[in-house]
Amino acid sequence: MKAFEWEQPRDWGEAISMLDPRDLTVRVMAGGTALMLMMKSGVFQPTRLISLQGLGQEAGAIVQEAQGGIRIGALCSLTALGQSSAVATTAPVIIRTLKTLSNVRVRNVATLGGHLAHADPHMDLPPVMMALGATVKTVGARSSRTLTMSELYRGYYETALEPDELICEIVIPSQVGRSAVYLKCSTRAADDWPTLGVAVNVKCDGDVIEKARIVVSAATEKPIELVAAQTLLEGHSISPSRLNDCAELALAQAPLVSDARGTASYKKELLRVYLKRAIQIALKGTIS
Amino acid sequence: MLVAKVFRSTMAHAVIRAIDVSRARAQPGVYAVYTAEDIVGLIAKPFYGPAFHDQPILALGKVHHVGEPVAVVLAEDPHVAENALASIEVEYEPLPAVFDEIEAMNSKAVVHEVLKPAGTFPDLKHLSGKKNTNIALDFHLLRGDPQKAFKQADHVFEHYFKTQPVLHLPLEPFATVAVPTHTGLTLHTASQSPSFVRIEIARLLGWPENRVQVKVPYLGGGFGAKLYIKTEALASACALLAQRAVKLALSMEEQFYVITKHATTLRIKSAVTKEGQITARECEVWWNGGAFADIGPRVTQKSGFTAAGPYDIENVQIDSYALYTNLPPAGALRGFGIPQLVWAYESHTDMMARALKIDPLQMRRKNVLREGRPQATGTLMRDAALVPVLERLAQLMHWDEPFDHGSGTWRRGRGMAIGFKASIAPTTSMAIVVINADGSCQLQSSTVDMGQGSDTAMAQIVCEVLDIDMGVIKVVHPDTDVTPYDMATLGSRSTYHMGHAVKRAAEHARDQLAAMAVEFKLTLNEVSIADLFKRKYGMQAGNVVGVGSFIPAYTSPDAQGQTLQATPFWMIGATGVELEVDTETGQFRITQMINLVDVGNPINPEIVKTQISGAAIMQMGFTLSEKMDFDEGQVTNASLADYKIPGIRDLPQFMHNEAVSAFEQSGPFGAKGVGESGTFGVSPAIANAIDDAVGVRLTDLPLTAEAIFRGMRIHAGQPLQED
Ligand SMILES: Cc1cc2nc3c(=O)[nH]c(=O)nc-3n(C[C@H](O)[C@H](O)[C@H](O)COP(=O)(O)OP(=O)(O)OC[C@H]3O[C@@H](n4cnc5c(N)ncnc54)[C@H](O)[C@@H]3O)c2cc1C
Repeated sequence: MKAFEWEQPRDWGEAISMLDPRDLTVRVMAGGTALMLMMKSGVFQPTRLISLQGLGQEAGAIVQEAQGGIRIGALCSLTALGQSSAVATTAPVIIRTLKTLSNVRVRNVATLGGHLAHADPHMDLPPVMMALGATVKTVGARSSRTLTMSELYRGYYETALEPDELICEIVIPSQVGRSAVYLKCSTRAADDWPTLGVAVNVKCDGDVIEKARIVVSAATEKPIELVAAQTLLEGHSISPSRLNDCAELALAQAPLVSDARGTASYKKELLRVYLKRAIQIALKGTIS
Repeated sequence: MLVAKVFRSTMAHAVIRAIDVSRARAQPGVYAVYTAEDIVGLIAKPFYGPAFHDQPILALGKVHHVGEPVAVVLAEDPHVAENALASIEVEYEPLPAVFDEIEAMNSKAVVHEVLKPAGTFPDLKHLSGKKNTNIALDFHLLRGDPQKAFKQADHVFEHYFKTQPVLHLPLEPFATVAVPTHTGLTLHTASQSPSFVRIEIARLLGWPENRVQVKVPYLGGGFGAKLYIKTEALASACALLAQRAVKLALSMEEQFYVITKHATTLRIKSAVTKEGQITARECEVWWNGGAFADIGPRVTQKSGFTAAGPYDIENVQIDSYALYTNLPPAGALRGFGIPQLVWAYESHTDMMARALKIDPLQMRRKNVLREGRPQATGTLMRDAALVPVLERLAQLMHWDEPFDHGSGTWRRGRGMAIGFKASIAPTTSMAIVVINADGSCQLQSSTVDMGQGSDTAMAQIVCEVLDIDMGVIKVVHPDTDVTPYDMATLGSRSTYHMGHAVKRAAEHARDQLAAMAVEFKLTLNEVSIADLFKRKYGMQAGNVVGVGSFIPAYTSPDAQGQTLQATPFWMIGATGVELEVDTETGQFRITQMINLVDVGNPINPEIVKTQISGAAIMQMGFTLSEKMDFDEGQVTNASLADYKIPGIRDLPQFMHNEAVSAFEQSGPFGAKGVGESGTFGVSPAIANAIDDAVGVRLTDLPLTAEAIFRGMRIHAGQPLQED
């Protein structure tokens, strides 16, 4: 590790002014859990790190909105996220997901903003947030904008964020009448990165599925919303044949890749099984 | 103190054309940069190793594997040293490389042009290697007339198996601090073999043993990784060249390039009668030893003794080859080659039983070696509780009761496996028991406690002999200035070998105390130790020093691999497994694992249990998830994030660990070793249970969900596409 500068801005504006869009060795550090691994392995050698820890409590606050949605400050730690009653009532799938997400030491310092910005396709909350229809608010040198999760993720460790643009807030819309599930499938040790992640979010009217969101991750280069499969479900009640057709459409659309955790053709079989399971669990959730 | 950081080879096999360290030397804060050229100035022949002197302190002339140390940077600041590595430049001329053990048998790529047997250990004296090949050792055993038996057999079965490269991965990586002193050199090192380190460093330097002092604190795990020379030679050379204290502590990632467990290919062929009696067996084993022999030849030979399994087979042929390849070196890992062999012969047992429609337990009962019978080397089975272990396993698994194989998408299966091991012989242990005038006592022994509880077990032995309280004993940790010679803490040898030496040292001390008591016409029951010293010396003064040593009888095998004394004792381990397979995905969970061993009389039953469970869980990792992935000799998953050892959530839902009631006549208080026995049966028991559940037979480790799924699809006539 080489010596580097260390900055502690007081607000987002100051933080952005300390970034240098032409120099990728200047970066912000939130919890530092992903960054430190990259620094230890020599993949990333910073010249300047800008700590976001001095931004104040508000930057990590969770706010329940009157319309039923929640706004989460980018610096909210994963532990705080998991302990929030607003999150538990609005999107309990997040609480369930956090139970097997890394370990307590990492969760205590890792932030939601850092988690979403890192863009490692194996991470658990990006597909969940995508299925929940969450958006991220960004601040940049020139402008601020709102991005959907599909817009945020461009590819393997690649986001649409400009070098001098930061995530400041995550907005989860109201989930009234919805039921969401995330299944993490690991094929080596239980605490390995997932071989496949599947997130499903459904809204039903009786037994008719009004809205469906289906997201696949980990087996793909970035989390992907499987639109054709979703459309097939919407406006119908579920039957075994529809469930099968939905899975087949999902397989056709998901660009699965081989790696040390399994071949693409095996992951295809996993996706078929886990997708059906996730949909069935999600549908049960709407009834209870 | 200076910190050393190692510059490692990026090539698997290449001639070193030039090394340019000038830019690294010029970095501010860099104290020195050394290459083999500097080392040779200090040590003319800088090669070490327990079987062959084949490992250079820094690469000399050529590199043999990716990760081989080529140069070293010293600086007070570890970051400065680390950064300077990036400015070292090496020009290589690539050589053809060989990675596979079968290819290594006949490959044009030869890892070592010259073979230099070390001649250190009496059981490896015959070692010479085969010139112009990659064969470091070939062990052959022939008993009876297998060829004739195969001709007359009702059935002949032949199967191939493979095990993958894995590694020890103690959570404390290798670390040595070398300090030049006015008399020589002191090493503080994470080693399982302090006496060997002293002898080998002294040999390299051409010094008498007493100029090298080796001190070992508690280790953060070893599992066979920290044997012989690892970081010690390089740290010593750096300290002497720099004339400063030098610390060489490797990272978790560097461990992947230091020492591994042999990958193997195994062929096993059996002749069997209609009734399931095995009449002949042929075993061929190819051990992928990597670039340096380390202790691989001994693994090849000792495990060769038992490659045919714990079965009473009249006609046996065993051919076992230790091979050099251009992978990181392989050595001993908890089981000394036995888990690889049991994997093959116990999978083979079930495959035959299944084909012959014989119950797997009956198949084993019919063939198991009984007490007093000769094993493949001709050595008789003595105090070997094979039958009690097998029967107790059957009982605990309720083997004779109907078994629910599940329904729907969940299928259940059960499997068992039993293995055995010859101890590593002949090896020596020495111990000193010092009694102080107040009745307190020190035990000086070079056995290394790395969590296995040897300090406790040895102290118990002293207490038992001297009839004193555990509280008054201090176990002095290895310090070669103080603690006498011990071969090493390896191969489950300490309880038996050091246990004997400690017992003898304690008895020697007790006899001297008794003689002192006689001087005052007393017996030891009538006077406290403190009073005895006061009477003798008029005050609290004096010591009694008891010494003990032990080396078991051993006879080297003849050209046919035959000997009546292959081992001082037999280790036995068996595992039974029940599991559930999700037939939609191939994923499975182990619902029950039962591990049974014969440790003779357990000196400390609680420690024994933790040794059994620890060994079994470790082997479970080697069975299910651990595998070093290589690309042209480079490890592509060299980190704990990518190389998956089991976590708490991977454990079987229910686990039972037990030592059967047994007694080793030749052992101290009837005891023998336990560190490895829990590993023996794990892999084949799981594979046998998978076969029982879904009819898929896996012959390569690790046993992955994908492999099971692919097997099920082949059965269903819908094979999954390869990609
Ligand atoms: C041992 C371990 C186990 C783990 N297991 C899991 C797991 O099971 N599942 C899982 O999903 N994840 C897992 N992770 C990953 C973990 O979730 C991430 O490391 C963490 O969420 C990253 O958050 P951070 O605040 O520490 O990010 P940092 O390390 O601080 O930053 C990560 C990246 O995001 C950038 N960044 C940070 N904040 C912002 C922002 N507000 N706007 C724009 N860019 C920003 C940084 O510059 C950096 O490039 C694990 C990590 C570890 C170390």
